[in-house]
Amino acid sequence: MARRETNIDDEKRSYSAVFLLSVGLLLAGAIWSVWDDNIARRPWKYYQAEFSELEQARAREEIKKEDERLAQDATYQQVSKDLAAAHQRLATGETVKRIADLEARQTRFKMHHADVDLKLRIVKSRLEEVWYDYDTAVLEKKPTDAVRTRIEVLNKEKEGIQKSFDESKAQLEQIDNELSEVRSEVKGLDDKLKSLTAERELLAQKLENLTINIGPFALPKIPKIQQIVLEDFQRNNFDKPVARVERCESCHVGIDKAGFDDAPNPYKTHPQRALILGKHPPDKFGCTPCHQGQGAAVNSPEQAHGDVHHWAEPLMRGDKVQASCIKCHANIGGLKGADSIARGQKLFEELGCHGCHLVESYEDLQKVGPYLRLASAKFDPSWLVRWVTNPHQYRPKTRMPNFMFKPDEAEAIAAYLLDATKADSDQWLESRPLPAGIDPNNTALVTHGKEVVDSVGCRGCHGFAADESPALLGENKDIAPNLSHVAEKTDARWLYYWVKGPRDYSAVSRMPSLRLSDDEARAVVSFLLTLGSTQPTEGLEARLRQPETIARGKTLVRKYGCFGCHDITGMENESRIGVELSTFGSKPLEELFFGNHTDIPETWADWTLNKLKTPRTYTTERIEQLMPQFDLAEADIKALRIFLASRTDLKYPAKYHAENDLRGQREVLGRRVVARYNCVGCHIIEGEGGAIRARYQDSPTMAPPILNGEGAKAQEDWLFNFLKQPVPLRPWLKARMPTFSLSDSEATTLVQYLGALDNIQVPFVHIDEAKISPEYILAAQKLTTPDYFNCFSCHQQGDHKPEGPPEGWAPDLTMARHRLNPDWIIRWLHNPQAVQPGTKMPSFYEQDPSGKATGGPDDILDGDNEKQIQALRDYLMVLGNANEVLARNQKRTGALAAAAQNGDAAPPAN
Amino acid sequence: MRKISFGAMLVTLGTVAWCAAPAPAYDGGPVSNGGTVSGTVKIQGAPPAAKTIEVTKDKEVCGQHEIKNESVVVAAGGGIENAVVSITAISKGKLMAADSPVLDQRGCAYVPHVLLFPAGSTVKINNDDGILHNIHTYSTKNPPVNMAQPKFKKTIEAKFDQPEVIRVTCDAHGWMEGWFIAEDHPYYAKTDASGNYTLTDVPAGDYELKVWQEKLGEKTQKITVTAGGSAKADFELAAK
Repeated sequence: MARRETNIDDEKRSYSAVFLLSVGLLLAGAIWSVWDDNIARRPWKYYQAEFSELEQARAREEIKKEDERLAQDATYQQVSKDLAAAHQRLATGETVKRIADLEARQTRFKMHHADVDLKLRIVKSRLEEVWYDYDTAVLEKKPTDAVRTRIEVLNKEKEGIQKSFDESKAQLEQIDNELSEVRSEVKGLDDKLKSLTAERELLAQKLENLTINIGPFALPKIPKIQQIVLEDFQRNNFDKPVARVERCESCHVGIDKAGFDDAPNPYKTHPQRALILGKHPPDKFGCTPCHQGQGAAVNSPEQAHGDVHHWAEPLMRGDKVQASCIKCHANIGGLKGADSIARGQKLFEELGCHGCHLVESYEDLQKVGPYLRLASAKFDPSWLVRWVTNPHQYRPKTRMPNFMFKPDEAEAIAAYLLDATKADSDQWLESRPLPAGIDPNNTALVTHGKEVVDSVGCRGCHGFAADESPALLGENKDIAPNLSHVAEKTDARWLYYWVKGPRDYSAVSRMPSLRLSDDEARAVVSFLLTLGSTQPTEGLEARLRQPETIARGKTLVRKYGCFGCHDITGMENESRIGVELSTFGSKPLEELFFGNHTDIPETWADWTLNKLKTPRTYTTERIEQLMPQFDLAEADIKALRIFLASRTDLKYPAKYHAENDLRGQREVLGRRVVARYNCVGCHIIEGEGGAIRARYQDSPTMAPPILNGEGAKAQEDWLFNFLKQPVPLRPWLKARMPTFSLSDSEATTLVQYLGALDNIQVPFVHIDEAKISPEYILAAQKLTTPDYFNCFSCHQQGDHKPEGPPEGWAPDLTMARHRLNPDWIIRWLHNPQAVQPGTKMPSFYEQDPSGKATGGPDDILDGDNEKQIQALRDYLMVLGNANEVLARNQKRTGALAAAAQNGDAAPPAN
Repeated sequence: MRKISFGAMLVTLGTVAWCAAPAPAYDGGPVSNGGTVSGTVKIQGAPPAAKTIEVTKDKEVCGQHEIKNESVVVAAGGGIENAVVSITAISKGKLMAADSPVLDQRGCAYVPHVLLFPAGSTVKINNDDGILHNIHTYSTKNPPVNMAQPKFKKTIEAKFDQPEVIRVTCDAHGWMEGWFIAEDHPYYAKTDASGNYTLTDVPAGDYELKVWQEKLGEKTQKITVTAGGSAKADFELAAK
């Protein structure tokens, strides 16, 4: 029989070391798992704890400050002193005895009163009982006399007790009154002190709420994940709406708390908390819709910020975050805090990026470059070749980018442009002969030309010296060409017809007509011809005529997409040559080609930055790149990059969108027209622009008008017609409002834009002539006379012009009824300087603190200044027709006929 | 942390030092044994011919007397009237007396043509003509003023708190031009008809002296004033 072999040594062997080791390992494992689960992978717990410390320290600091303030507050000091004294008085001398007495009496009377009260209640219940007996007896038809007697006895008893109850109650009340009278001083002071220390109490309460308080212990709060769920925020791969979850505030604890602006991250208050978080409460909007990142991650800042490989939307910091604004705000140009993306958008539109790149909702913008269908009539061929070779050489700040063509390529392109447009140009020139009398050597003529240029407003857009830039796009691009070498580029004949009427040459010209007379145009051209001179290249003309060169040029124009910005003969059917950028912002990294670069960090932001800086930087021997060099300033490149970053396929649900109302849409369209025609070269609109004003620092009233508030001022019909066909309004101005030959739609857009800026809801202006009181018309007529405001001392009135030179005149008041908004006239007469700072119009009234007009004459309309202003307004609205209205209204109201001498808008007596 | 008892709070309160208000820019007081600075402002080169203004408006009032163009008035010896000489950046010296400056609009001209006053003064502006004038100041440090002064308003007032050279015009009468000079110290003077000026009670020390003339511009020079002494500083402004 097999017997199990036993080794007695095995039995005797001790396994305690192994057990101990296992236990040790298990314990270590357990500790590690708890540690790892609760601490190592939970950095936000540490952040919350530290922030709590910070918050408590701040709260204590605030309490300390409040204490210091109280220590300096004389009232507080006085009240606490008085209170102490009052307490003292209560605790000494006669008062102590009196209080003790009163309190002893109060105790006695309370006991007595309780006794009486009990007795009263007993008697009342006994009465109830007897009444019950009585009712029963009546029902059972038994005798009731005995019961009646008992009722009477009890009633009498009750009366007696009631009396002593009332007495003791009165006594008690009296004692109460006496006691509170003695203590009233203390009570009053106590209340006062409480109101003075209310702020401190609040702070103390706040501090207390920061911790869990058990008895004397203040324990830190247990850290919690702070999670925001945005329902149906995004769509999954099956196009079903899913929620977005983010936990940013688990670490960024102070982001929506005031007062941590100087705290380190992640505790810092949002740098624009009031503006951004005020309008986008984090519990509703979250953080990632604007900032991106991996909002649900909490293991490490890198993960949470999405600064990890293959996370497509890393955190957007600084002004890069503005790329998100445009997702919900269509009217980005009028948005506070979105300057960078607005600038990027404007650069995109105005540099003509859309000419080569298709971008959704920017498809229909106009071409930004000059019209080239009559190129042969305009350009000096030698200049044209130099220009095409490198435009920045001739004009460093031009918007035209440098395509870095080799000289033979540039010649070919010039050859094509000149050849393709020759027939049309010759025809155009045929009917436009060079006028006599243009002479750059005639000093007087040139001087006159320069005077015209300096005065009519050319300098609102153009620079005439090499470094002169009145108005810039971004940081370093001229809005209109610098003309310091214009004579190198073109000739007298083209210049003459161009300055006379730019739309005569190009139907899409941005340059307006300044309505120069023939003489002025001749002088201006003579002056322009002194700026540079042609520099012919030997033998060029012949080379430009070679058919193979012309054909090569056509190929090059097609290849490089010149028609993206210019209207070019023969290129009508071409389409954009660049890649579409509608979703460029979400282009994955693996689709971005870095060429031979190893020095550029592999991120979307770095790729784009370098592309915009040096567009052909990713060229390799096999991969050709065509994008030209724009030479943009760093800040402009960054702004453009922000705009490009906003072109993504992320679409946010409509409920997150800012209201895209008519007003906003009108502003967007209007700004585009304003940018196209550079209205802000002369005018200040939306508080910006007016570069030309720098030339009028000594005489600001000679500068073109400021148009802040123009929408509220001008009637829409009038404004529309004025924009279409400007008439001189201010005879003292030398600068002319040009004729832009705006289309009806452009003029309407501008009118609606100005109205939208001032939130004009109803454009129609109506004054009921029949309701204007004759008294008002008569009063206003008197107010305008030399004895009072003498309005027509400066203002024109139809054909009646004021005395003195036109420099001293003011606008024609008969235009007011069609031009000015009646409500605006009231505001204007109250205080012209407030409506348009720097205006020549003096204030005839002052304002009292309530905003009511004062300072007018006492003997008109009983000295009621507000009525005087109303009267002047009503009068202006009928000026030119005032007497008929007066007569009609007098007849209607049955008033007496006006005095015969009140002629229609009587001109000043002198 | 538990609430601290109210009594304990009172005990722990410390006193906070009273903070003195920042010292004013100019510190005026009695000056003993101060020096005098005087001199003449003259024109360098040919003086411009005296001009009269052509009255183009309201002739029955403005045209009664000849109106001189006062932009550069030069006396026979070359002295320039209405230039303003002042010490720049002086922080301590004699008391700044309050002033009640008055500007008259008389015969469609400003009298005086250049009005000097300490900053903080209220200027009384009279309309003696009985026609519409307006006071339009091209000030930047002081709030600009553009007030109408019709016939029925004999006097209006305007206050200028900041030191500034302010051009004043009337938009109703284009030729009317005057100047307000508001200074934040008392060491300034206007040259008389012969171009002379005097500054008195100047504490001893080194200063920079400046002359300003509306058309001929500014010039400065260094001067040293000794106690009780008299310094001489002449200026020459180039004709334009």
